[in-house]
Amino acid sequence: MTISWKRIHAIFMKDYKDFSRNLAVSLIIFLPPVLAAFYSRTGNGGSIETYYMVINMAFGMVAAFVQSCLIAEEKEKNTLRGLMLSPASTTEILIGKSSLSLVLTLLTIALSALFSNYRPANIGLIVLALFVSAIFYIALGTMVGLFAKTVMEASLYVTPIILLFSFGTMLPLLAEQYPALQATAYLPNIQLLEIGTKVERGGSFTDILPQLAVILAWGVVASFAAVSLYKKRLID
Amino acid sequence: METIIEMKHVEKRFGNETALAQLDFHVNRGEIFGFLGPSGSGKTTTIKILTGQLLPTGGNASVFGKSVSSLKQPVNRKRFGVLTDNSGLYGRLSIYDNLKLYCDLYEVPRTKIADVLAIVQLQHEQQKRVSALSKGMRQRVALARALLHEPELLFLDEPTSALDPVNTLHIYDGLRALNDRGTTIFLTTHDMQEAETLCDRVAFLNNGQIQLIGSPEELKKQFSDSTLTVALKNGESIALPSGQEGAQQLFDYMKEDQVDTIHSNEPTLGDIFIQVTGRKLA
Repeated sequence: MTISWKRIHAIFMKDYKDFSRNLAVSLIIFLPPVLAAFYSRTGNGGSIETYYMVINMAFGMVAAFVQSCLIAEEKEKNTLRGLMLSPASTTEILIGKSSLSLVLTLLTIALSALFSNYRPANIGLIVLALFVSAIFYIALGTMVGLFAKTVMEASLYVTPIILLFSFGTMLPLLAEQYPALQATAYLPNIQLLEIGTKVERGGSFTDILPQLAVILAWGVVASFAAVSLYKKRLID
Repeated sequence: METIIEMKHVEKRFGNETALAQLDFHVNRGEIFGFLGPSGSGKTTTIKILTGQLLPTGGNASVFGKSVSSLKQPVNRKRFGVLTDNSGLYGRLSIYDNLKLYCDLYEVPRTKIADVLAIVQLQHEQQKRVSALSKGMRQRVALARALLHEPELLFLDEPTSALDPVNTLHIYDGLRALNDRGTTIFLTTHDMQEAETLCDRVAFLNNGQIQLIGSPEELKKQFSDSTLTVALKNGESIALPSGQEGAQQLFDYMKEDQVDTIHSNEPTLGDIFIQVTGRKLA
């Protein structure tokens, strides 16, 4: 299988131009950095939990929400059909459609970290963990977008996802009361928080490998599900 | 002559409802083939099957000599173009940006944009945002997009439904030029005039079944009642039968200088459709 970067780039550039003129969706990318700046100025932003609450919110709001809107709008306006009937392969379309969300997510997180004065002890390990996490959230957004019929519907479906992954880091605290919640410890946002904590304590790549593997597993499963759903949508 | 589309006993069911029943026809390379039928007769379903967007529930559908399932291969999708009644365009982007995307997807040089915009008479509007265009102009942009890669086979679903007569003629000229360069055109319409103007052969579709197939001339000849209507100078109109008797009467009227006009009573495709199906095209 050969991949045409020209096609991927064409879809990315189209999305970039379209997104920059869509204020209803594009303004949301400023929320996490604004929140980070707010926490920092009010003196509540110095803990690793706060840093990662904002970072996980960026994943929910940008990677999942923006991606779901980009895909759902293509469905709503019947433009996805045009892409599907073109010679672009499933891989080219899905990479092309995910590139903008990936760039925006990483940019939003970088700005949020800057405004909240988060300076990771090992930036390489954190960037790796963020990149792997982004794959999961973008695949989740793709699934929501493919499942929804309209942008409005996608926004509705993605809201609980944003809430779960932004504030879900508090769920394991309730695990003593509700044992079923112990499973939430394996959510990707909580694994990411653990990676952040370990790195601040001087943890190496080997130390964060179990958490990284869990996030990667989420990403692989979500990507597989997104591709399967896309292939189903190829045929009415 | 090479067959480019072949449908053999093709069936499509949606639950208990039969959308297409035992569809049999073929389209030759280089033809403009018209698929005529009222709304809900199965025209769009047929195009969806032929472009790999729907799978038939029975029979065999093939395009370019291969089963339509081969259209899943992206490389095969380069060989055809589609213009549906709801061809999505990116409203926030300009006409040029919309076409640029498809140039890159089909790997054709961007210089083609000027050529296709000239065909649809939009060469001076290319920087306009699609959202600011009328429905007719959007349809022309969608057609320009379908022409960009000069496909071997072009599917057009009601291509001039939103256009005024002048724009319609521009589109016809463009389609004929494309057909002259070798593109086979599969056209669905409920406009009989359009079918007569453009098509080499037509098929009448009603309730998911083909009722009649042939060239417009053949069909008109087949359904003609072989009479002539003679309008006389005194305002009277007389139908004359063919053959010696009619010829003698016509000769007599002409000798007495009573004839104003003569018309052959050839039915239109619309008349034939109503006669065959008992339904009007709308």
